[in-house]
Amino acid sequence: MSRESFLARVRAAAAAGRAHRVFAADKPLPPIAPSRTAAADLVSRMAAEVDLVGGHSHVVPDAPAAARVLAELLDQTAATKALCWRDPLLERIGLTELLRQRGVQLLDYDALVREPVEARRPLILAAEIGISGAAWAVAESGSLAMASGPGRERLASLAPPLHVAVIEARQIVPDLFALFVHYEGGALPSNLTLITGPSKTGDIEMELTTGVHGPGEWHVVIIDGAST
Amino acid sequence: MQESDYSRQTHHEFEAASRLAMANASLQHALGNLGQTLGRRNRDAFAAYPDSDAQRDRARQIKDATLAELDRHLETLEASIVGRGGHVHYADDGEAACRIALEIIQRRGAKHVVKSKSMTSEEIHLNHALEAAGVEVVETDFGEYIIQVAGHRPSHIVAPALHLRLHDITEILSRDAGRPLPAEAEGLAAYARERLRGAFAAAEVGITGANFAVAETGSIVLISNEGNARLTTSLPPVQIAIMGMEKVIPRLADLPVFLNVLARAATGQKLSIYTSVITGPRTADELDGPEEFHLIILDNGRSKILGGPLRESLFCIRCGACLNACPVYRSVGGHAYGGVYSGPIGAVLTPLYDGLAANRHLPHASSLCGACQAACPVRIAIPEMLITLREQLHHDPGSKGRLESLAYRMWAAVMGRPRLYGWATWLATRTVGRIVRQRWLRHLPGPLAGWTAARDFPSPAPRRFRDWWHEEQA
Repeated sequence: MSRESFLARVRAAAAAGRAHRVFAADKPLPPIAPSRTAAADLVSRMAAEVDLVGGHSHVVPDAPAAARVLAELLDQTAATKALCWRDPLLERIGLTELLRQRGVQLLDYDALVREPVEARRPLILAAEIGISGAAWAVAESGSLAMASGPGRERLASLAPPLHVAVIEARQIVPDLFALFVHYEGGALPSNLTLITGPSKTGDIEMELTTGVHGPGEWHVVIIDGAST
Repeated sequence: MQESDYSRQTHHEFEAASRLAMANASLQHALGNLGQTLGRRNRDAFAAYPDSDAQRDRARQIKDATLAELDRHLETLEASIVGRGGHVHYADDGEAACRIALEIIQRRGAKHVVKSKSMTSEEIHLNHALEAAGVEVVETDFGEYIIQVAGHRPSHIVAPALHLRLHDITEILSRDAGRPLPAEAEGLAAYARERLRGAFAAAEVGITGANFAVAETGSIVLISNEGNARLTTSLPPVQIAIMGMEKVIPRLADLPVFLNVLARAATGQKLSIYTSVITGPRTADELDGPEEFHLIILDNGRSKILGGPLRESLFCIRCGACLNACPVYRSVGGHAYGGVYSGPIGAVLTPLYDGLAANRHLPHASSLCGACQAACPVRIAIPEMLITLREQLHHDPGSKGRLESLAYRMWAAVMGRPRLYGWATWLATRTVGRIVRQRWLRHLPGPLAGWTAARDFPSPAPRRFRDWWHEEQA
């Protein structure tokens, strides 16, 4: 009932409003300039932008080097619980083994799904480190695109005070236009989140404070096969 | 008006509230740097972005085209959301939107709601409606939480606690904590994080706004720097998003255009820290995210604006850039405007939503300098719209005094008759021009005194231009 009257009212108003249009109806949209970042510069641009927004970039040549960065971060934080994605890249690095060596409890899809639903939330909120991959990365802004799904939990990059993401150079696209092309035609996950830095607020006198809700510390490990 | 009510009242006279604001030293200090912080970051970010002009034009044109067929895009959005297992509700006004939200909450038997920052929910006074029904609502944006505890209204579209200084916030949060908190930002943020984590852990429903909705994919887009919007849409089993109907954009390919200009305009960032594109509820095998997704699409006066000459005000993407750029906002702050939306765009929106007669000072709360339009990511012609509103005020016979009407009629009569104009200027030069002999008049008599209360009036010259001209020709 109210749906039909609502839409009828909007239809009439939209029609009346056409007399006040700013642009001619057939005017073509101004074109989008192609990205200025050359393909060869994507890794360095991504790393530079991650650092600019307050994150820490680590460009490494291969999976073992990425494992060493992860190991160092785990040792520094003395984490006891890690909320992790189930991700082929993380498997290649040997994440499970890294955690086991250090006695860190692995909270991933398989571990959480065994718990009763009401027990999952407190477990997730107790994790001290979140470790994930990413679907894509955007060089121009230094962003990670996180596509949700089973094994790719939204909270892994959000709830713990420290988030580490591991990506490969081939996942980096130049800009947002190149990113969204991958999701046209109805392929969007239930949640696609772009992360561009550690959590921040400027709500007290414009002074930037990190980590108010999300991770205060944000690391992006880029495996650049070409850099060897 | 009591000073203590000033940040709480929703309706008041702009002039009286401005006088209080100008005399409030703490507020003046809080506003003092706005032009050099957020205002400058906006200009620097656009200057550093080579494609920004084309993108802003593109965003503006997409808004214009979308509004021309808004009904069709809303139907597409609805079909897409339903196709992804979500629910769509249409609300004619704020009351209807609150009722729909409350029904969803009560059907779940929920008592605990967390909210991420939403100006639309402020517009419809949602918290009040939910609390009246016994539902606990916790604002989770840090700034919103501070003003919720204090009982204030937001004073800025993106920085709701802008009017408060560190010592105010320390006092407000210490009272909330029941113990003295350290007067430094990190410690206060840490307190809020712990306090709000408790609210997140218990919440059964998360309420959000929507920065955009993409019709073809059925997605809503939420942008935040803190991550509270993500927690609100990851932990509770139900998400309710409330959105003004003008927020829809047709295609996913349109989204990057708006993302590229929104954060740059608001804070000078290339992107805000978190941008979430949410498409329906979680899938059956996902571990987090809401099981139930609702979108409430709100009219609340927007369709009246859509069909009229001020339709361009619906292009607004709520970035707050015009506030930071405006010399009037930077002098009086957000509360003086009375409405939910403040600054230049508020001076347009509040009279449109709340009635022109009740807000007759707002269209005049601008020097028409154009800084707002220059800062706007979609280049809304705010000064022109303010002039249109002034014109509408002029045509409303109830809005000005009889004396003012008479004065304007006399002015028009003189200006329209060259001989009468010649006589009047002769008289002015021979009287005020030659007898008073001051370049500037500091005080005008009688009903004209209002003009010189805040500025000087140029005195007539001792000789008319046309007399000088004739002599030069001779």
